[in-house]
Amino acid sequence: MKSYCSLGYLGIFLPIAVIGYAFLPKKYRWMFLLLCSYAFFWMLSKKLLIYILISTIAIHYIGIWLGFIQKERDEKLSTVERGEKKAIRLQYQKKQRLVLAAAICFHIGLLVLLKYSPFLAKNVQSLLTMLNVPLKIKIPKFALPIGLSFYTLQAVSYMIDVYRGTIKPDQNLGRLALYMCFFPSLMEGPICRYAQTANQLYSGEAVTYHNLTYGSQRILYGLFKKIVIADRLNLLIKSVFSDFIQYDGTVMLVGAVLYTCQLYMEFSGTMDVVIGSAEIFDIHLPENFQRPFFSKTISEFWQRWHITLGLWFKDYIFYPVSMSKRMKKLTMNARKKLGNHYGPLLAGSIALFCVWICNGLWHGSGWNYIFFGLYHFFLILSGSILEPTIRRITDALHIKRDSKGYHLLQIGKTTIFVIIGELFFRANGLTAGLAMFKKILTEFSLSSFVDGTLLNLGMDLYDYVVVLLAVLLVLAMSILKEKGISIRDMVASKPIYVRWAIYYSIIMLIIIFGAYGEGYAPIDPIYANF
Amino acid sequence: MMEQLIEILEDIQPDADYETCTTLIDDHILDSLSILSLVAELEDAFDVTIPTVEIIPANFNSAQAMMAMINRLLEEE
Amino acid sequence: MKEKINHALHIFFFAAGFVILLLISSAIVIPKNNAKEAGMLEINPNGILAERNHSIDVLVLGDSEAYSSITPMQIWEQEGITSYVCATPRQKLDKSETFMHQAFENQNPKIVILETNLIYREFSTTHTLSQLLDNTFPVLVYHNRWKSLTSSDFGGRIQYTWVNDLKGYIVHKKVKSISPKDYMKTTDEAAKIPLRNKLFIEKMYKYCQDHGSQLVLVSSPSAKNWNYKKHNGIAKLAEEFGLEYLDLNLYEDDIAIDWSKDTRDQGDHINYFGAVKVSEFLGKYLKDNFHLEDHRNDPMYADWFESLERYKEKIASAK
Repeated sequence: MKSYCSLGYLGIFLPIAVIGYAFLPKKYRWMFLLLCSYAFFWMLSKKLLIYILISTIAIHYIGIWLGFIQKERDEKLSTVERGEKKAIRLQYQKKQRLVLAAAICFHIGLLVLLKYSPFLAKNVQSLLTMLNVPLKIKIPKFALPIGLSFYTLQAVSYMIDVYRGTIKPDQNLGRLALYMCFFPSLMEGPICRYAQTANQLYSGEAVTYHNLTYGSQRILYGLFKKIVIADRLNLLIKSVFSDFIQYDGTVMLVGAVLYTCQLYMEFSGTMDVVIGSAEIFDIHLPENFQRPFFSKTISEFWQRWHITLGLWFKDYIFYPVSMSKRMKKLTMNARKKLGNHYGPLLAGSIALFCVWICNGLWHGSGWNYIFFGLYHFFLILSGSILEPTIRRITDALHIKRDSKGYHLLQIGKTTIFVIIGELFFRANGLTAGLAMFKKILTEFSLSSFVDGTLLNLGMDLYDYVVVLLAVLLVLAMSILKEKGISIRDMVASKPIYVRWAIYYSIIMLIIIFGAYGEGYAPIDPIYANF
Repeated sequence: MMEQLIEILEDIQPDADYETCTTLIDDHILDSLSILSLVAELEDAFDVTIPTVEIIPANFNSAQAMMAMINRLLEEE
Repeated sequence: MKEKINHALHIFFFAAGFVILLLISSAIVIPKNNAKEAGMLEINPNGILAERNHSIDVLVLGDSEAYSSITPMQIWEQEGITSYVCATPRQKLDKSETFMHQAFENQNPKIVILETNLIYREFSTTHTLSQLLDNTFPVLVYHNRWKSLTSSDFGGRIQYTWVNDLKGYIVHKKVKSISPKDYMKTTDEAAKIPLRNKLFIEKMYKYCQDHGSQLVLVSSPSAKNWNYKKHNGIAKLAEEFGLEYLDLNLYEDDIAIDWSKDTRDQGDHINYFGAVKVSEFLGKYLKDNFHLEDHRNDPMYADWFESLERYKEKIASAK
């Protein structure tokens, strides 16, 4: 079992989990989920299980420690006069910050060590070689436990939330462990907050027919996106990106567009499977996608794509940085000199920069990922800087910014920017990415669209047609959802023969048109190395 | 205190009626940059600390909500 | 309670409907002939489907070692014994079992040879489950044929007519030599066979017994893959189950594999020149140890002589 869209998970693991859960009495259900989650972890990472156990125990005791400090503070505050309260608050805040900082350093440090030390070592080595220092550094290679990047963020968010007093430290190690390791969200997210999911996971609600069917339908839709569309595109993507030198700019562009499509279908499809799985247990995980390609700006895009990651960065990096004392001072001073728009932009952009370095690096340890982060930082920043100017220009030209045409224009430009970003994201390194991008600009030829080049990349005409039709189907569903229509409710209201016809159709579409079996190499999920 | 709050709001984002509007965040009248300025100015003006967890739509959708939040934070101190 | 029964019935009938759809779609996409043009996959081992009923004496199962070392046409020419190699790259025991069951539908080989290299190959429960589903619902294997369906796929009969003149053997004449060190150096250690694999072999030899056949274990010569440790492991297994075991790696004088000329990839697999030697020895072994008929004078087997002519042409022109 390598991914959620596999026979092992959907055919064996999940059914066993659901059946066991359904037949256990309510109070044991969370334990069973925990057992299943650790079994899931073990199947994928074996002894590396120790890492998540250490993290779980660590945040459990850090949380309790912070709780103690807060309790002490509150007791002291109740005995003291009004005027002294601020000083005491500050004193205890300092204490808490020390504990929190140490804990965060431990967790992020572990993540950096396991995931980024090879990259760091390689670069230090290059630097030394460049400076003619004859030192040879051993490049470390660590095996990564599954879900490391995801559960680490969940751990840090738990501790910060306890520090902020938003949640009480969890005295129950088991519940905390389940929050950290819940098998549907372990491998690729969504990144959950303790306040959102811990009690849902613990309460052991029954499996209802409604949740079973709705969850299964969602899983089906996700499978459709991944197996019919994403996996079919994979053969072309693999040859274009690994062998790009022999292809021209047109192929590069097609590769970038189709990769963006593959990434979206695979990631959002997997989220459908994952969220659908949790739904069967009456556990509602946060959404990670909200029709991102309907976004009018890059800022909006990142509020609709990998939503839980964006929220994490907003709550735990953007606001803390932009609202730090120094930044607030900067904002107030800058506002006096640069006005209401550009004033706060200064502190905002510093905070934004921190977010995007982290976002880029979180996705992978490589210069192309840093470039990816900075690329989006640059786009969002320029968007903000140019906003007043664009407003003035469109006003002057009497262009209505809330017309359908203007919206479509914005959606188009945003999509293009996203596609270029994904080109660099997928390329085998920054140099390759730059070379590929250059090809798009210098070696583009319209004739490549019609002379059969595109049919020699791993997909034939039938494949293109299937992808196109399937994407149109997903587009139609997305438009309905954007309008607030629940498709599952809509289908559920139809008579049984219509419902079953629809379900059977989707299932058979996956079975017949799925890109699995002979001729399709098994694919490692794109987001699973995190 | 309310007049002071409204003064600050009008200085940051003049195009709104802060006496009556209750959808300042939902309708994107105050964007993220305005919030940055606003929080800094409010903290300075009212000598209060607005922690990150308070920066939610419920607290900033109207001038009244902001005032309630500020009063509550002052009370807790 | 009534609602629960209602729900259970819904699920049951939905599943039943799904199974029916799978069976119907399987019937449509399954290749109607065993030729490549008809969309058949694994055409080399599946050539056996076109062999006349009850004409194959020896069935060979295994991985690339099997289809590289044993050439049935040579055994035919030499001894008049008919054999077929149903081997695929990196084959696993659950697939061997599948090929065995498929062969026994129209054939009744007296001997089933299992090449031992794959006995050490591990595989998972999911793999076996997936194999089972593929066997039950061929649409899972042949669904890609949607790109090439013809009218004969809808309701047409299945007729296997593509005869494989090499009878499952795959010819390579390339030479990449090796001077093996410690080849088959004796030791007392025995390599461990995964429990799952042992159970599969037990299932297979019992199946053979039930069908009047005998399972025989054979190790092809391989300087890279085979060693005495593995030999001991198989010998132990053979003793435990009462199976004949022929390790061709131990007949260096009789078979005389020259590792400088007879291997195509530095000792991993032997090439055509090695296969000739192996098949000659194996043919004699089969004749001497098992009461297999010599069909060379039987007019029913005239087609094997025709295949032999074409086989010789193919060998001559192969690289």
